[in-house]
Amino acid sequence: MKTTMKVISLTVASIMALSLAACGGSGSGTASSGDTLKVGALYNLTGGQASLDKPSYNGFKMAADEINAAGGIDGKMIEVVSYDGKTDQTTCANNAKKMIDVDNVLIVAGFSDSNYALAAGQICQQKSVPFITSGATLQTIPDQVGDYAFLAPFGDDIQAYACADFMLDDMNAKTCYLLTDMSMEFTKTLAECFEERFLAGGGEIILKDTYMNKDPDFSAQIDRFLAEAPDVDFLFISGVPDDAGVVVKQFRDKGVTLPIISGDGYDTPLLMEVAGDQAYDVYVGTHTSLANPDEKVVNFVKGYNELYGNAPENAFAALGYDCMYLIADAMKRATDPTDPTAIRDALAETSGLVGVTGTVTYLNGSHVPTKSVTINKAENGEFVFQKEITPE
Amino acid sequence: MRLRDNNVFRFWSFVGIPLMIIIIACFHQGGYYTHLINTFGIYIILVASLNLVNGFSGMFSMGHAAFMAIGAYVSAYFTLPTDIKYSFLPGLPHWLKDIQLPFLAAMLLGSIAAMLVALVVGFCVLRMKGHYLSVATLGLIVIVRSVLDNQDSITNGARGITGLPDHAVTWTIFFVAVVVMYILHRTIRSGFGRELIAIRDDTVAARTMGINVTKYRVLIFAMSAFFAGAGGALWGHLQSVISGKFYYYDMSFKIVQTSIIGGVYTLSGSIVGSLFMTFVPEFLSPLESGLQIFGVQLPEMYGLSNLIMAAFLVVLIIFRRQGLVGYSENIVNSIFSPDVYKAAVSPKEYKKLLGIIASKFTRLLHKKDNKS
Amino acid sequence: MSIEYIISQLINGLRLGSVYAMVAIGYSIVYGILRLINFAHGDILTVGAYTALTLMVAFGYPLWLVIILSIIISVAMGLLIERVAYRPLRNAREETTLVSSLAVSAFLQNLITMVFSEQRKAFQLPDWLTEIHTYGIVKLSTMNIIIFATTIFLLIFLSIIMKKTRIGMAMRACSDNQRAAALMGININVVVAVAFMIGSALAGLAGIMLAGEYKTVDPAMGFAPGLKAFVAAVLGGIGSLGGAVLGGFILGIAEMAFAGLLPTSITPYRDAMVFVLLILVLLVKPNGILGSDEGGRS
Repeated sequence: MKTTMKVISLTVASIMALSLAACGGSGSGTASSGDTLKVGALYNLTGGQASLDKPSYNGFKMAADEINAAGGIDGKMIEVVSYDGKTDQTTCANNAKKMIDVDNVLIVAGFSDSNYALAAGQICQQKSVPFITSGATLQTIPDQVGDYAFLAPFGDDIQAYACADFMLDDMNAKTCYLLTDMSMEFTKTLAECFEERFLAGGGEIILKDTYMNKDPDFSAQIDRFLAEAPDVDFLFISGVPDDAGVVVKQFRDKGVTLPIISGDGYDTPLLMEVAGDQAYDVYVGTHTSLANPDEKVVNFVKGYNELYGNAPENAFAALGYDCMYLIADAMKRATDPTDPTAIRDALAETSGLVGVTGTVTYLNGSHVPTKSVTINKAENGEFVFQKEITPE
Repeated sequence: MRLRDNNVFRFWSFVGIPLMIIIIACFHQGGYYTHLINTFGIYIILVASLNLVNGFSGMFSMGHAAFMAIGAYVSAYFTLPTDIKYSFLPGLPHWLKDIQLPFLAAMLLGSIAAMLVALVVGFCVLRMKGHYLSVATLGLIVIVRSVLDNQDSITNGARGITGLPDHAVTWTIFFVAVVVMYILHRTIRSGFGRELIAIRDDTVAARTMGINVTKYRVLIFAMSAFFAGAGGALWGHLQSVISGKFYYYDMSFKIVQTSIIGGVYTLSGSIVGSLFMTFVPEFLSPLESGLQIFGVQLPEMYGLSNLIMAAFLVVLIIFRRQGLVGYSENIVNSIFSPDVYKAAVSPKEYKKLLGIIASKFTRLLHKKDNKS
Repeated sequence: MSIEYIISQLINGLRLGSVYAMVAIGYSIVYGILRLINFAHGDILTVGAYTALTLMVAFGYPLWLVIILSIIISVAMGLLIERVAYRPLRNAREETTLVSSLAVSAFLQNLITMVFSEQRKAFQLPDWLTEIHTYGIVKLSTMNIIIFATTIFLLIFLSIIMKKTRIGMAMRACSDNQRAAALMGININVVVAVAFMIGSALAGLAGIMLAGEYKTVDPAMGFAPGLKAFVAAVLGGIGSLGGAVLGGFILGIAEMAFAGLLPTSITPYRDAMVFVLLILVLLVKPNGILGSDEGGRS
């Protein structure tokens, strides 16, 4: 037993020594001096959130590399300091503090989930470091956290309103079935905002039902739908990429041919891959279409493919990419790109910045961008652009 | 006499130096290292309370996260500013919305709430045997999460509650930790504690000796829930954001892992385990971000530290089942033993320490002589 | 609420339940002999599914070969885990092996994530399997029928093995009293290995079927079914094969019933209600519905 203890303590000691040595060696500790501007990337690269955050991080890094290749910010290179949050609250909080205290980053970007974004935002706010979430869409984050918090994507309310408006105005729909994923804040907020707008526009929700994220089986909900509300004009399903294809396929398999609409959670290749030819008449309210022939989008997709060997997994990759450009743009305009507060001020004045996921403007002091929502339709294995809406 | 039995050594290793570190941390609130130390402190409370159930009483509860959640939310009800309660938690009764209490009182209320739930659940569940108990406690986590995620009017649903005031400062955390450890320390060494150990070692024999096993189990379960609630309250206020998703399986499993790594048979195990689990992953994380060793740039390998920790856990369990600390209650005994403190100020004891160090030295030299 | 509706929900429950039952059988056999809650069981399910995906997509093998190979690999994985992480702990407290299985589960999940990526992937089985047959309001795919039939068949087949063959008797003996069995000359290591082989094979097969049914795989796909299978096994009486199957079906029906027959304002509490049901059953029948008093390990 004594030898075991010795072996264990030796292993632990050597790991710690190695890591400490590496810590000191990787040049942290000094503020962004001289040549580099340090930007923190805080994502859950492992664990339950990884399917959204990893692509976000990939996009983010890709953008940083591009910016540096083009000369950086007035000659200064961007250095991305990245830690894995492991979808664990402790780790996320530790890493947020580490980034700010030890690595002295100027701004922290990250997370696609609002709970994590809120937690990180609070830590950044306390230290007067701007925090911008690349993927979380809860529009109340800046209100709840403070004036150093920003959203890069549009808020849930805008998404939902656009979907409701589209159905009411363009599809002349009056009645609807609402299915919500109750395990996530994003989906619940989306559904609530949709309901609010749809009802205000004269629509009627005949039946509401629920499920939990990663439920594999929806037959209970489908059967209830068929029994109680089979004659609605369309279905609104508030869900995340994981469940997109599964839900649609099961509904279609059971003979439901009605149109289905959802928010940006359904903007994923998984929808077509899983549902196959059952993925028809599905509308998605999202940031942009990755199949958009627009030059910016095409270049992004091509670059991502070259760098990572596969097409962008979902819209979050593009969101991460745009987030980095948002930061870079703010740094260029900031009175002093090494002062977090100056960066924050410049960020708040962003106007008309064109990205892969749309155009960002922070109007009237809001830290939620007024971005337009693109409605795409899934058809023949592709997303086809329908309409661009900017709800009031 | 061995080095680790010398009172001066014990004082400085287990009381003096840690105390100095903690005091320094008290003055650096908000910093990264202080945050780690705070996390470490809360983990001590959580793991020690779990050890009470898992190590000393022969039960195996996996529901700790549920009690943490109850403690966190209930204490938040009493510390949140009134306007937040009015905007986000409309379902709370008016008197609750208007009230705002100092932190320790709120924490106490959170702990009591957790304890009450444990009492109710305990009566149902603690009659079950071993593994059925574990499953039932897992179920408790699911039930609590369901309520937290869906009773929007009193919990703000899956959105969680933000803006918990910054009450979990270092001195509060360690004050509570020391109090908890003291209570547990005295409990285990009392007659009550001996009966618990009897139950753990041989339930049948314990019953024969007239011990009402179920009653003890319920009491221990409730006590452990009380402390878990306190830990949860501290945790919630440290993170300032609480949500059902943070108090789920992962949290419970992490605490269980920490207690096993430290050692389930002692209270000291909770201290060592928490130390290990708080600091080692942080040491490992530069490895993931792609660091430079001797000029060679390693690639980014996220998920590596998870693999290493999991593998380490398996190895530790197989080769040293009693955890890093084993059976020795040295650390906790040192903290609460008056002799240790007396020794710190007595020159005679220092001389003894020197003597031990000297003798170790000479032994080393002799070994070298013998070899050559 | 028409009769047809209730029946269709019932059929849904049986459909879901047969998958739970298949995994629960494996859980039950292992637990019966080792008193081990194997959290890694669900991850063997994931291994089976990912192996099938790789074989089909990267190598293009025909279905029958894919299934056989995936099962073999799941079995190998199960035996490996047993040998490395559980056998050294044979004489330890039961909770220690439980924690070990937790660690193995974490290890496997992270390994799969690092090798395959954390994204969900699409998984397609040949069309003839997923073709849907309609009987009134009830719609079943060929695969649903196959899963159900396989589960029943396995139940009967394994029960016969347990009762009539020597290895079956050896397993039952180990389950009752491991030390006495060893004294009677039974090689415990072999018995345990056989138990793990059966359990892992079933888990791997269930993984393929789950993946085919829901058309996706992801690294954490085994966790929920693994947990539910354990609940099912406990519900039905752990250590009893019939109990595992019964528990699986009851759990499947309960989930569907809670999701489909309750008012939609209560359905978010579905998972919680399943556990409440479990606790209630255990209060009335502490050893599960079909369970008998566990023989203690002396």
